[in-house]
Amino acid sequence: MRQAARLLAGALLAPSAALAAAQKAAVPPPYAGVYQPQGVDEIGWWREDDESERVLAASSLVIRDEALTGYIRGVLCATVGADRCHSVRVYVLREPTFNATMSPNGTMRVFSGLLLRVRNEAELGAVLGHEFGHFERRHSLNLFRTRRTGTDVLAWTGLLVSMAPSYRAARAYRDLQWSIYGHLFRYGRDQEREADSLGVGYLNQSSLPPQAAAAMWQNLMDEAAASARARGLRKPNFKAIAFTASHPPLAERADTLAGLARIDGEGRDNGSARYHAALAPWLPLLLDDQIKLNDFGASDYLIQNLARDGWSADLWLARGELYRARGNPRDVEHAAAFYANAIALNDALAPAHRGLGLALLKSGKPGDGHAALRRYLQLSPDAPDAKLIGMLVPGGNAP
Amino acid sequence: MGIVRRTALAVGVVLFAAAPAAAQERSATRSGFELPAHSGKRILVFRPSVSVGAQSTGGMFEPNGDWTEKAKRNIQLSLERLQGRLGNSVVVAPEAYGEDAQRVQEHMALFAAVSQAVIEYQFFKGNRLPTKKRDNKNQVFDWSLGAGVATLPGAQDADYGLFVYNRDAYGSTGRKILQVLALLGPGIAVKSGEHAGYAGLVDLRTGDLLWLNADGAMGGDVRDEEGSEKRVRQLLEDFPGGDIKQDS
Amino acid sequence: MTRIWAALLALVAMLALPVAPASGHKLRAKGEAVTVADSGLTVTPGRDWNRVSGKPGKNAETWTLDGGQLNDLTFFGGIEPGKPLVKERHKKKDPLPKFGKATLLVELPELLEGTYRAYKKIGAFQTLSTAPTKFLGQDGVAFTYEYTDEDQITRKGEAVAAIVGGKLYMVSFDAPRLHYFDRAIGDVRALVATARL
Repeated sequence: MRQAARLLAGALLAPSAALAAAQKAAVPPPYAGVYQPQGVDEIGWWREDDESERVLAASSLVIRDEALTGYIRGVLCATVGADRCHSVRVYVLREPTFNATMSPNGTMRVFSGLLLRVRNEAELGAVLGHEFGHFERRHSLNLFRTRRTGTDVLAWTGLLVSMAPSYRAARAYRDLQWSIYGHLFRYGRDQEREADSLGVGYLNQSSLPPQAAAAMWQNLMDEAAASARARGLRKPNFKAIAFTASHPPLAERADTLAGLARIDGEGRDNGSARYHAALAPWLPLLLDDQIKLNDFGASDYLIQNLARDGWSADLWLARGELYRARGNPRDVEHAAAFYANAIALNDALAPAHRGLGLALLKSGKPGDGHAALRRYLQLSPDAPDAKLIGMLVPGGNAP
Repeated sequence: MGIVRRTALAVGVVLFAAAPAAAQERSATRSGFELPAHSGKRILVFRPSVSVGAQSTGGMFEPNGDWTEKAKRNIQLSLERLQGRLGNSVVVAPEAYGEDAQRVQEHMALFAAVSQAVIEYQFFKGNRLPTKKRDNKNQVFDWSLGAGVATLPGAQDADYGLFVYNRDAYGSTGRKILQVLALLGPGIAVKSGEHAGYAGLVDLRTGDLLWLNADGAMGGDVRDEEGSEKRVRQLLEDFPGGDIKQDS
Repeated sequence: MTRIWAALLALVAMLALPVAPASGHKLRAKGEAVTVADSGLTVTPGRDWNRVSGKPGKNAETWTLDGGQLNDLTFFGGIEPGKPLVKERHKKKDPLPKFGKATLLVELPELLEGTYRAYKKIGAFQTLSTAPTKFLGQDGVAFTYEYTDEDQITRKGEAVAAIVGGKLYMVSFDAPRLHYFDRAIGDVRALVATARL
């Protein structure tokens, strides 16, 4: 029984050995052109995929902004090359978490939370290239096949064990179970490694700096650590980030990614200015979506990270909202200062005057608070909450 | 606040799975609704959700594009034939784009939610809402998608809308052998295959749900014409306007 | 396959399974005053409602007409400072925004919005209007909102809230913007008007 288990497990493990050796970034092979699915299972999954893309295309969660979608597609093309990116349809979804996925038929889903987290075209390209790597190597199909084989083996041996219910047989079954689940986990992880390697490989061949992949990863780890610290948790919860759920150990990964990058690519333009310009119209909304997730540590980390090239009124406003929402007395004091900074940069930013007024009221400075709220009503007399704010100001409905 | 909905449902599922057997309803017709045979109504079929595949030995679903296409075609043909026999004609909903497509999809999602609520709170005897208990005693079946359905593409040219959902997973040879051996050997019941379907008819003027049928264990092999006919017959069991079973 | 269909499939598959014991849903009959959310809050419904078994939080309870996915009326009865509106999945890993001593009326819509967004991890939420109102004989706030859920349905919501004796009292109603919201909102407003402490 035990012998059989080992044999079966060995047979399953064989294909993954080849992947483990990869040290240098994969050099993307010449593009094979338009691919058509082959075999019953692949054709079947493509059809399911086509149906789900129909649903996606009509979903109210899709951000329908041609300029933004076109820009992201452009970054993908710059990363993987024009011939490859032909096979992809990009959809931007209003989902405030870090994720991007690509399904076998060429549907790429980019979550808005990803856009808030990457800092330039090269980092965006690193994530999109990683996902494209899964697609080009048809990983989801292979993972499906491996799972199918694994669960088949478990079903059979489970039956055999129940027919010979001895302690040894049960133990052998348990061993086999672990070895198959372990195999599936390692298999998923090897796929991640391969996609990482391909992702950097694309960047190496592109005009973007491949070092961005490691930087992006480091940034994500730092954010998770900041989130955990603010929540009083000992360890960051990487499982909560969909993108990292089955990925290689983190420190190893950042090192590997750094090692794969072409050294002479370091001086290339990472497209940070272009990226910020393209994202600017959406930044206030994305910040708002993030702050309201009630993840104080992560949100504060992201805001400060975005402010590395200089604070804008939007960023100060976001930070004020974040601190006011947490609402400890010290938070409210900080919030008032942040709103004031926003106003110093842009006096016409109505929500900053609103936030400042509320923060001042709460920290026992009604005089200044009322003045700020009056200014808010002046700037934005038709605001949805104008009446209610008006009631907070003495003598005050009239702006 | 509608946020704990999902959790409650999940707990419900566990309960149902563990509880002892009792009577269970699978279909209902809106009281007062009659569809006399040969009244020549036009029925608009919204893009049916059909998915056919195999079940691996280990129990995983493996979609099969060829079977799915066949099943889609067969189901469509059987629908046309059976409705034709009842004196109704079947119109396929036109392909929708842009805002139209979004509207269609939101209505399909609403139909799914309404069906879910019917199954959860009226068909499930043990989980009936008190007001639905009373409805049930009085043969009242009162659910609606609202008059917005009248604006869906194709609705102007039809009387009723039909939503169809179907999923089949055929046990692979390995799964079937496993099933037999498990029963012969240790006497374990392994389920081979999964055949679920439901269909609902909606009044395209008012949005009222006229009839709903939901079945988790259906017969008929949708991969061939004869089997599809049997499946659609089951799907349309108790369809207002005539007994399809006997009508053959 | 989309999640809605998948969820439905699970339900349909359950039809083949045995059925549960008597449910815990309770009738809330027309014209009968009843206290809600384990608090001193009393309402008198103008039509029959169902109180859904189980409750979303310590001081909260939910009523429905056709099922929570189609109409969800939730009462929050006396939320104390430092407490979230509903029960947190995990106090540390998944904390929810808290009602506070210093929370202002005008901040209550933000509290509800933050709770929904954090609990559901969604971005698509929008507060549509905020206005002063009277609730429980006090100055209160009435507001409306709209959000898109995991099941791809966009729901509209309307809520009224007031702070009485340092505690938060609120009634919210959520329903799909197609048909269901408009159909019941009149009954909901009438019911809210009967609320007493």
